[in-house]
Amino acid sequence: MSTTSSTDRRVLGISPRIIVAGLLAGAAAASGVALTTTSGWLIVRADQRPQILLLLTAIVGVRTFGLGRPVFRYFERVRSHDAALDVLARRRAQTYADLVPLTPARLGRRGRADLLTGVVDDLTDVTEAPVRFTVPVLGALAAGAVATTLTASLVPAVGAVLAAMLLVCAALVALCYRLESRSQARVLAARSEVVRVGHLTARHAGELQAVGGQDAALRWLDDAHDELRGRLLEQSQGRALVSGGVLLTTVGATVASAYLAVGSGVSSPVQALLVLAPVATGEILGVLTDATRALARATAGQDRLDTLLAQEPAVVDHDVDEDAAHALVRSGRTPALQLEQAVARWSEGRPAVGPVDLVLEPGEHVALVGPNGSGKTTLLSVLARHLELTSGSYLVDGRDARELPAHAVRSLFAVVDDEPHVFASTLRNNLLLAAGPPPSDAGSTSPDPDAEPASTGPSDEVLLTSLRRAGLADWLQALPDGLDTRIGTGGHGISGGERARLAVARALLSQRPVLLLDEPGAHLDHPTAQAVIHDLLTAASGRTVVIVTHHGVGAEQVDRVVDLTREKVA
Amino acid sequence: MAPFDLRLLRQVPQTRRPVAVLGALGALGGLATIASAFALTTLVVSAVRGSDLTWPAVATAGAFALRAVLSWTTERVAAWAGARVSTDLRAELLRTWLSRPAEQRPDPDEALTLSAQGAASVEPYVAKYLPTLVAAAVVPPLAILCLLVLDWPSALVVVLTLPLLPLFAALIGMTTQADTDRRWRALSDLSGHFLDVMAGLPTLVSYGRGERQVATIERVSQRHRRATVRTLRLAFMSSAALELLATISVAIVAVLVGLRLTHGQMDLWVGMIAILLAPEAYWPIRRVGAEFHSAADGAQAVQSILDEISSEPGDPMGQRRAKGGEPGRVVATDLGYTYPAGQRAVLDGVSLRLGSGLTAITGPSGVGKTTLLELLAGLRTPSAGTVDAPACHLVTQRPFFGATTLRDNLTLGNDADDASVWEALRVVQLEGFVASLPQGLYTAVGDDGFGFSAGQRARLVLARAVLSGASVVLLDEPTAHLDDDGAAAVHEALRTLCETRTVIAVTHRSELVTLADHHVHLGADRTGRSATSVSTAAASGEPA
Repeated sequence: MSTTSSTDRRVLGISPRIIVAGLLAGAAAASGVALTTTSGWLIVRADQRPQILLLLTAIVGVRTFGLGRPVFRYFERVRSHDAALDVLARRRAQTYADLVPLTPARLGRRGRADLLTGVVDDLTDVTEAPVRFTVPVLGALAAGAVATTLTASLVPAVGAVLAAMLLVCAALVALCYRLESRSQARVLAARSEVVRVGHLTARHAGELQAVGGQDAALRWLDDAHDELRGRLLEQSQGRALVSGGVLLTTVGATVASAYLAVGSGVSSPVQALLVLAPVATGEILGVLTDATRALARATAGQDRLDTLLAQEPAVVDHDVDEDAAHALVRSGRTPALQLEQAVARWSEGRPAVGPVDLVLEPGEHVALVGPNGSGKTTLLSVLARHLELTSGSYLVDGRDARELPAHAVRSLFAVVDDEPHVFASTLRNNLLLAAGPPPSDAGSTSPDPDAEPASTGPSDEVLLTSLRRAGLADWLQALPDGLDTRIGTGGHGISGGERARLAVARALLSQRPVLLLDEPGAHLDHPTAQAVIHDLLTAASGRTVVIVTHHGVGAEQVDRVVDLTREKVA
Repeated sequence: MAPFDLRLLRQVPQTRRPVAVLGALGALGGLATIASAFALTTLVVSAVRGSDLTWPAVATAGAFALRAVLSWTTERVAAWAGARVSTDLRAELLRTWLSRPAEQRPDPDEALTLSAQGAASVEPYVAKYLPTLVAAAVVPPLAILCLLVLDWPSALVVVLTLPLLPLFAALIGMTTQADTDRRWRALSDLSGHFLDVMAGLPTLVSYGRGERQVATIERVSQRHRRATVRTLRLAFMSSAALELLATISVAIVAVLVGLRLTHGQMDLWVGMIAILLAPEAYWPIRRVGAEFHSAADGAQAVQSILDEISSEPGDPMGQRRAKGGEPGRVVATDLGYTYPAGQRAVLDGVSLRLGSGLTAITGPSGVGKTTLLELLAGLRTPSAGTVDAPACHLVTQRPFFGATTLRDNLTLGNDADDASVWEALRVVQLEGFVASLPQGLYTAVGDDGFGFSAGQRARLVLARAVLSGASVVLLDEPTAHLDDDGAAAVHEALRTLCETRTVIAVTHRSELVTLADHHVHLGADRTGRSATSVSTAAASGEPA
């Protein structure tokens, strides 16, 4: 409203279907205005005690408007929701496709799950804007224009009053939009701080009790809550202004119309109609408050999506040797990996890690330790070819990684991070996604709720073996439907330890020659973490394994420990 | 589900004021709406009769100005009240969890959802739904009352037709219930799909499956669209039916008024007020129905949160703080513990008397050493036996490091001044290190002790134990992940600490066992009962 940037135009989502829905909304709103005004006319005309027959046209009119309003509104709502959900479906697919090349390096190191959930919410907000803003506002405009034209044809001055009323309300909406948008970012920041403190407190309730930190945590929560309340109150300024302002404007227009109608010399039933017209129009403008809020939310969401998706992928291929890469991948042999004077950083402005020298012989099991922030995860991302070096070199099987296509190098690594995701699907589908046939293969094993079980791919025996080797034999025994048990959201419960082991089973099943584990025990207690890592190392003999661990779990079980503090990385 | 759970006002008294203010504003708003209908009628009638407009115009302006002020105030107050109630509920919920032992807290994921999204959904429930509920309770009765006084036939029509609205809604609801339920389940599956693959994006990409998901997303989302629109059609249809019903009812009032006017049996003013007041009896009720749909999550969350905070109160830590116990002495008698989900007891028949000095507890993995410490600290409630101990400070394997600065982390649970903090850092031999940091005590610390080595973290949490003032300090594997130098520094600090406190450490390090005054070995006998053997170093006398 205040600006006409491309963001706003995309958020408004103007399309033929939305315009039709807007016109239907206008027809519904105009019926409402007509219902009130013609009723006024009818009552005054009836008071003049004419023959009933003379009133029939008006009575039919009132009936039509009364029936028309719910019918038009019904069609408007069905059409606009259908259109918006269609846009949502397409934008979800498009956004997902745009996110794939940015994953994982450009999604940030921390709070990745929150960021991705945020994308889901932002997309919903953005695609709802046409339903919540464009359609009602188009409707109000159309009905307002009809009311203005019709009253102007009776008494031009009253038409002018209605036009002025609409203009004042438009100005109020623009002001409200500014106020809402301005406080939007601050409200969101306050909300995420509340969520952060709330999570911290709920997740660490036991640890807080252990050190007597309950009161301190509740104080932090109080501070965050104070801030949020202040911001929410501030945000309500705009909508309070619109809801009060529309009523004041309405009464101004009503009083003006009353004087003008009386002075115009029209018949008294028409006078009643003219006095009631601003009130009836004011009622349809009541939708503007919520509409403006929806627009402010959608614009903010669109801005966030744009910022996220405008990033460059972390690794871009230039002049790569596809044949060499294919030969390496197909050979199935475990490559030697070598970093020389390697320096990398997550993004511009973040501290760089390195220079690091690291040689990983095929089949070697190595633990990376060092204080948090010393660059262990960064190093892992470099190895997995998720992050480009800023200087130095990375040799895969003796060749510079930059000469090989990134997707091929990545297919050598199975990465287990500290937040492995369990899809809401069967255990089988949760495993098969790692067992992938080569990308050219058509068989879909995606975790689509209704996906057919893949006809090709590993046998059940292979899947069961990978589960057993990941230490899930007992858990598997307890599952009601074995591999066909549904797990993840809404399915059979799965503990943190089992989740970590499932991720290990995926990695084993993938047959990828190098396993990279980022704090696989981060959310597990000490004995469980030890056990998971022990099972993994036993199962992964012959493959290269790199474990990042900052709690030191598993460091005694590997061939070699690389301490990044002593490597002078920081 | 009840539209408003009165337990809210009973159990969380802070919410009474915001809810009361919002209710009062809603009632005043209703009165102003009725008043403006009167003023407007007078204005219209004066205009058509050609009488003086001054006073009717002033009255109309006044009534609408009052409505405008109330409407402005209601928006502001609604925002405040929504925020107030939602934040008070969240604070109360977390306060409850923080005062409960582990087995009385819900599963972490469930807890996070309830405290974050659950409490947040209370905001629109209070800010948007409650005012409509108040309007529905105030405006229709007022409108009917006015009609009754002015024109009883119109009032009769309204009284006879108004109950049809909820009846009709219930009928529609009943006939479509099964269908709606089935569809909502299918819908939540479909809409959950995108959230699921989005959260799993890093996993899918790491196995080269990201691109393939794109087509599936579009396909599932389109199926979601068709299913949603089918469900919405039904919802919109029933709301259209209710609107139609209200319109027809108002039309009956209008026909009766019109007939009497044409026969000269009625005054124009009365007729006009009747047709302006009649709709006021219907729309507030329809709006409650429409808003409830969007407020249902909030109403559900209010109930869940109230269930959580009203269930059996248990504050063993608070009781222990209040009761005290003998400083420095920990007595466990025939202690047993079974995890809520477990069948087998982790601990069974453990009796201990521990006092001053350093006690090392050893035992094989899985024998329940951590559980024992949590029981001694009061973080868990024994399934059998008793613990008699003062308030303890427990250093867990993964100590809390969530405060913003180093100083805030060290003074968590105590209110030590800077001098004491430095003194404690001297005990753990980190004084020089912290002094060398550019921002000293005010160095920012990330979650989980970001930026410090494992050895430094281990000593920092000991410094916090020093500051705590608790006479009993419990330590769970204080040196498990440390190299020999790091462990030696921690052991040195423990030696100082146990001069003034009772220190009980679970460990598998022989150096620490050697250092200890007492040694408890926790094992299990053949029947699975816990077996303890206690030995005491010669120098330190009685094992208290």
